Amino acid sequence: MKRLGYGFLMIVAAGLAWLGTSWAAETPLSLELANAKIEISTFYDGTTLDVTGTLPAEADAVIQVSGPKKDVHLKQKGKVAGFLWMNKYDVSLENTPAVYMVYTPTGAKEKFLNPELGVGYKALVNGIAIEPESADKEFIFGEYVKLMEEAGVYAVNEGTIKYGAVNNGVKSFSATLTIPSLMSAGDYTVEALAVDNGTVTGRSSKKLTLELVGLPASISKMAYGKPLLFGIMAVVIAIATGLIIGVIFKGGGGAH
Amino acid sequence: MLHMYLPIAGNSVNVFLIFGLGGFVGLLSGIFGVGGGFLMTPLLMMFGIPPTVAAASDSNQIVGASTSGTLAHMRLGNVDIPMGVMLLIGGVGGGAIGVQIIKILKAMGNADFLIAITYVIMLGGVGGYMFWESLQGLKKSKNASAEEEIKAPEPNDGKKSLVQKLPLQFKFAKSGCEISMLLPLGFGILVGILAAIMGVGGGFIMVPVMVYLLRMPMHVVVGTSLFQILFTCVNVTILQSYSNHTVDFILAVLLLLGSTIGAQVGTAVSKRLNADQLKIMLASLVLLVCAKMMAGLLMTPSIMVALKGGH
Repeated sequence: MKRLGYGFLMIVAAGLAWLGTSWAAETPLSLELANAKIEISTFYDGTTLDVTGTLPAEADAVIQVSGPKKDVHLKQKGKVAGFLWMNKYDVSLENTPAVYMVYTPTGAKEKFLNPELGVGYKALVNGIAIEPESADKEFIFGEYVKLMEEAGVYAVNEGTIKYGAVNNGVKSFSATLTIPSLMSAGDYTVEALAVDNGTVTGRSSKKLTLELVGLPASISKMAYGKPLLFGIMAVVIAIATGLIIGVIFKGGGGAH
Repeated sequence: MLHMYLPIAGNSVNVFLIFGLGGFVGLLSGIFGVGGGFLMTPLLMMFGIPPTVAAASDSNQIVGASTSGTLAHMRLGNVDIPMGVMLLIGGVGGGAIGVQIIKILKAMGNADFLIAITYVIMLGGVGGYMFWESLQGLKKSKNASAEEEIKAPEPNDGKKSLVQKLPLQFKFAKSGCEISMLLPLGFGILVGILAAIMGVGGGFIMVPVMVYLLRMPMHVVVGTSLFQILFTCVNVTILQSYSNHTVDFILAVLLLLGSTIGAQVGTAVSKRLNADQLKIMLASLVLLVCAKMMAGLLMTPSIMVALKGGH
């Protein structure tokens, strides 16, 4: 009986060991963020975020930063009266990330921006619905991407992922991610993919939080929590500043 | 370079750039008696501020600049308070009517077209007429060495007699005219409607109305316009903050530190220029904005979508 129990334990241990190695083979990818929380304070002007990790030596690392998803309401431009370009039609892109940035290693960027890997704008458009359905989704989303790229919240950055030394079939990678000032407070996902021979062989993701602190936090809280008081305060301070500057300039202004 | 984060706009800006922008627009405000919203809002949008936040924060800033400018003009005796009050009452009433008109137009689906057309016609018409008229004035004053009290030509006898028949005649001392109170009230309503449709403070329409329709002396026009704009913008700031949460206080403070100083300098500059010089400069500015607007309407856009929310 005792021997039977010992044998059972051995089998369980062997099974666990096997599971461990097979998991390791499927997801040998690790990802670490230097900061999981970024504080937006008074003099904040965007920042950078260092990420590091490891992956199998033969694979490539691709990093995606995305979130939060929302419905985007747009005006499509069209000609009015045959010659005036104006905002003409209402279109909405549903479930669209406010931020989407891809970081790839040097070379063959197109290899990684593959809808089958779930990476890049073409992959993104598959998960987005358009309203009205009759609108040309690919075209509208493409134009929206241009708008967001101009603002700096959508980007494809090639050559930003650097590899370190290979050790026991595993190599390290690192990248410095850009966090633009237009990336507002909220939760984002930083995801690393291990890509080998056109397939994703591992993924790992971490949550990144951007949070208002100090003066921006107090102002935002008051603007949304006590909007009437906020408006009156803004007016009073503006008038006071106007009066103070007026008094300071009294000598100069009245002398002529 | 020192940057500050704007929590409502959701972006950061260069402190010195915004301070300078405020100073420039404040200068124009002190010289011409306009709020400068028709310049400031597009400029702020260029620096990545959402249009609704740009317009609302700008009106907060104008409160500071026009307080400073009104004070400076008051010392010079350039503010006709009864006239300003009548225009203001009309303006607020007209604004309310204009907002309703926009609601109806939006429901009908052609608001954007009408806003753009109103913009171009108003800017082009007002700017063009003012430019032409002040050019004539400058030529005349060269010949006759006339002083700045030259008023708009073309006396209209028919209109004058009708105007004189209106009730509530009042002597507006600073403006040097005796007219019915209904007249500034009516013009105030008209400007209020147009301003609400165009989404601007209306200073650049109010100034020509006072010069050409109410026949007020140019320097009193500038002071009185600023007085009137002050109250309009107090109202807009509180309303925008309360209903749309679009006033970015940090942005407004940065702008108004520049604009209050600019308004004082502008008032000093304004004193040194004669009426026609002032008018021709304002007219050129208005025509420039009109040309930019026209170019925007006629040229094929590089990006075929825009975020909904602005004009």
